[in-house]
Amino acid sequence: MRTEDHRDWRLSLGAYALGDLPADERAALAAHLEGCAECRAELRSLEGVAALLPLADPDRIEAPAVRPPADLGARIEAQITAESSREDRERRRRRWRLGIGGAVATAAVAAVLLLVALPIGGGESSPAQQVRFASLPKGVSIDATLEPHAFGTEIQMYVKGIRSGTLCRVFLRGEGGRTFSAGSFRYRWGSDSEVRLSSALDLSQAAVIGVHAGDRTFTAPISSATAMVSGAGIDST
Amino acid sequence: MGALTKERDVRAAYAAHSGELYGFAVRSLGDAGLAEEAVQETFLRAWKAGERFNPEIGSLRTWLFAILRNVVIDLGRARASRPRVAEGGVEPSVEPLEQALLAWQVEEAMRRIGEDHRRVLLETHFRARPYAEVAEELGVPEGTIKSRVYYGLKALRVALEEMGYED
Repeated sequence: MRTEDHRDWRLSLGAYALGDLPADERAALAAHLEGCAECRAELRSLEGVAALLPLADPDRIEAPAVRPPADLGARIEAQITAESSREDRERRRRRWRLGIGGAVATAAVAAVLLLVALPIGGGESSPAQQVRFASLPKGVSIDATLEPHAFGTEIQMYVKGIRSGTLCRVFLRGEGGRTFSAGSFRYRWGSDSEVRLSSALDLSQAAVIGVHAGDRTFTAPISSATAMVSGAGIDST
Repeated sequence: MGALTKERDVRAAYAAHSGELYGFAVRSLGDAGLAEEAVQETFLRAWKAGERFNPEIGSLRTWLFAILRNVVIDLGRARASRPRVAEGGVEPSVEPLEQALLAWQVEEAMRRIGEDHRRVLLETHFRARPYAEVAEELGVPEGTIKSRVYYGLKALRVALEEMGYED
């Protein structure tokens, strides 16, 4: 076998692997492959990639690349900073709760106690605001405590009565109607029903707090105390 | 050894991988707002589980994509499949998502290879145009088209391997 021939055959392996080689060349290359272990190995490595190509959509390949919004990184950092300081505070609170809760044995009772105790105990001296969702389905209760921070708003949310495993996505809506995500959580029956979230929107500018819970959306105005139930998919976070 | 426990580690991970993660989130969720939420949740979960990340087992990129995959499943179920799940009691298959991830990786790899190689693969293979026609349009010999297909496939393989693809 001459080196030049071998090189020519090798360059045809791409078209061969893709099934794009004309029939006569294909037959000739197949004959060469019979006697050339090197080309056979090369073909195997190309065939794996060739088999994946049908998955790709040429229009998507040529579409301009999508980029995340410029402020997304800063929002994530703000949320992580908030979660860090929240965890520190949670540790302090837990110590406090253990001190008064010695007689409380079961998790269920502890959860109920938490609902009563935290909005009061959590206040410290900050101007936190409490929101109660009204007009909820029977058996469901949602309360939230909102606390202003430099990064935005910290939200403690207390949920009861929705289906276990439901994905809840929380958001704040500003005076101007713009919606800011406050993150998501999964409600689990029987576990601690309190969750802590944060949103980049300043509490002073927040008009509405809302929860997409499964296919329903619950909202409550932040300054007064009534809430409405709206259908699925009306709000977007 | 945890590698993502500090806020500055998350910042570095975001700088390195957010573009790709967002690109896949948009492709699989079909919605820029949900994709933002998915990326935000991914980095938050990564930070919370940072202790469990071990660079000796796999790359940070692979780990972040595994988290994003779960986030996308959660968001996708919450958005579209919940009523069906409740009625039929059957979880939606995750197969289409695996397929979407693979498809997105191939498309991303195609974007990463050289323009000459990409163009020739697009025209000859995806658009099934004869080599001679493409050669004439590009003003190169037909043999050059054939060799660009070959080197293009090799480059594609390298690009896919950089994203964790193995045969």
